[in-house]
Amino acid sequence: MTLASTTAAAAALPQPRLWGVGRYEAAGRPAYFEISWADWRRDTDWARAMLADHGVRAGSGLIVVSGMPEAPWFDPVETAACELGAPFSVGEIWSFEAFRTAMYARRLPITMIFGMDRTVAEGLGDELAGVLARVPVIGARPDAISLLAGAGGRPFVVARLGPALAVECPQRAGAHVNGAEWTLAERGGELFLSTAGPRAHQISGEALGVHGALTQGACACGRTGQRVTIAE
Amino acid sequence: MPDDRFFEPEIETLPRASLAALQEERILELVPYVYERSALVRRKWEEARVKPGDINSLADFTERAPFITKDDIRQFRDEAGDPFGGLLCTGYDAATTVFSTSGTTGDATMYAHAWDQWHPFWAATARDLWEIGVRPGDYVLGSGFKMRGPLYHAEQMCGAIPLMVSTGIGAWASALDAIRRYRPVCATLTGLAMAELDHLSRSTDMTEVFSSFKGATFAGEPLGARARAQLESWGVEVYVWTSTGDVTAAFECRQHDGCHAWEDCVLLESVDPVDGTPVADGELGELVATSLDNPITPMVRFRSDDIIRMTREPCGCGRTHARFWPVGRKGDETIVAGHSFVPMDIWRALEQVPETATALFQLVRPAREIDELRVRVGYDPGLTAALPDVRDRVSEVIMAAVGVAPVLELLPEPELLARGRGGKLPRVVKS
Repeated sequence: MTLASTTAAAAALPQPRLWGVGRYEAAGRPAYFEISWADWRRDTDWARAMLADHGVRAGSGLIVVSGMPEAPWFDPVETAACELGAPFSVGEIWSFEAFRTAMYARRLPITMIFGMDRTVAEGLGDELAGVLARVPVIGARPDAISLLAGAGGRPFVVARLGPALAVECPQRAGAHVNGAEWTLAERGGELFLSTAGPRAHQISGEALGVHGALTQGACACGRTGQRVTIAE
Repeated sequence: MPDDRFFEPEIETLPRASLAALQEERILELVPYVYERSALVRRKWEEARVKPGDINSLADFTERAPFITKDDIRQFRDEAGDPFGGLLCTGYDAATTVFSTSGTTGDATMYAHAWDQWHPFWAATARDLWEIGVRPGDYVLGSGFKMRGPLYHAEQMCGAIPLMVSTGIGAWASALDAIRRYRPVCATLTGLAMAELDHLSRSTDMTEVFSSFKGATFAGEPLGARARAQLESWGVEVYVWTSTGDVTAAFECRQHDGCHAWEDCVLLESVDPVDGTPVADGELGELVATSLDNPITPMVRFRSDDIIRMTREPCGCGRTHARFWPVGRKGDETIVAGHSFVPMDIWRALEQVPETATALFQLVRPAREIDELRVRVGYDPGLTAALPDVRDRVSEVIMAAVGVAPVLELLPEPELLARGRGGKLPRVVKS
């Protein structure tokens, strides 16, 4: 079969060290970051545990709201869903693509939307209430939290922090970052990020241009380490 | 292998007789499988009084298996409340991904696949990128949309490194920065991207920017002659690609002599758009596709509405799989006051006017036969001093191309671009 033969051909090739290269804004300036295949694997393992905590299991339906340039953050989530046996669809992050998120939510047995942002939430228009009524668990970007909460939702936070991803567990008591990979610091309400793990992209105290507050100590979910509350 | 021209030499150059045997084997496995599992296929076959036992060869299949149209899928979906329109052959939970078509011409259609490493829709595309020259360690500028799945899987299958930066509307200035920094060998372009690159070219040395490129792929809509010439003037070899009936993708090779359909993945037919009879190689026909490698939502004799010319002659590149040339969409032909034309006629006309040379337009057509030719045209505000003058010149070139004076709605390009969806601007709209 085609998938099998092309997969075999791909496996025979030398694999580069890098899975991909992404770009983020750090305090208003673009920064490129390289992701190794090992980075991607660890990010996927972490995302799988977060999704499992939110009840994602075999047969759960997910919509991941993200665009291709966000693959460094969201591909590990999609791969994690795949590994959990949860079918996923992608709702693009453009407002004119909000119809796709609405369509999937209307037609498929979706149990979670991961990564909804304000653009898509507003793009849903009159369909937003229906989406919130149908989909039991919604992970939203910081800019969409109050809008969704105002519409009756109880979203958990999904945030890009520079090259890192922060995700609230079901406790909704601050977003976790993978402490084995990243360390956050806060000065005067501003957040700074450093690399903690053996990542291809190493940074130290990089200003994120994001404001928020850090919480140290164990979360009721059992995770230890930092949690971050991001100012909308 | 990196020195080889082909990603899978044996399969890509399989003799036609072997290819036909492979297809027949897969079709004979597929027929009982879908008849048992696909509610839409079962309904269509029962209506046509055809049973799996009637199909004992590839010839039986192409003679007797009923067609399925997009309207059939939509009708089944609406009647049965089945999101997959009767195509799903497994439970939803057997799927890994559910993706959908662009939705440019109506409600998007959903397709599902099962996979554990690489997305099947793009798996064969690794062969096409390899032909362009993508090799292990190369950087490739990623595609802007994911609605059909992660195209970057095909890049990674080649051992390449995707540059995951935005190439969407308004993002090309920063994408050029990524190109300068990483020197990719390939990128995916669309008509909307070309409009933006056209503007950037006035202040940027595009030949220098694209100097690392072995090629750029172009899809989503026809590539206008002006856009092709412009890319070539920047030293970019353009590889047109298109969908093969929503089953997989088909790309030009270095011969630029048609898009290669991967016939181990899809059974490709070309039929008369009216009566469904097979048309000869080289004649205009409608593309009909049958999935040979998707057990979740296989298409079975799906009429794509795409008008093509097709040949099964081996290509100059040495590959043996069928090639086709996309010509347009069935139903795109418009008749106004007795004059017949297709959207490409307006496209070519607009390319002649500097202010509208990016050919961003929409034909506003409530029906196929219309009394009044209404065209919504995007113009470059930076080049336009006098709009009435632009209007006169645009009217003149459209009149010359179509034979009818148009009623024009001129919009600044950004306003018209905002009506795009999925990287495409619908060229024919009802209002």
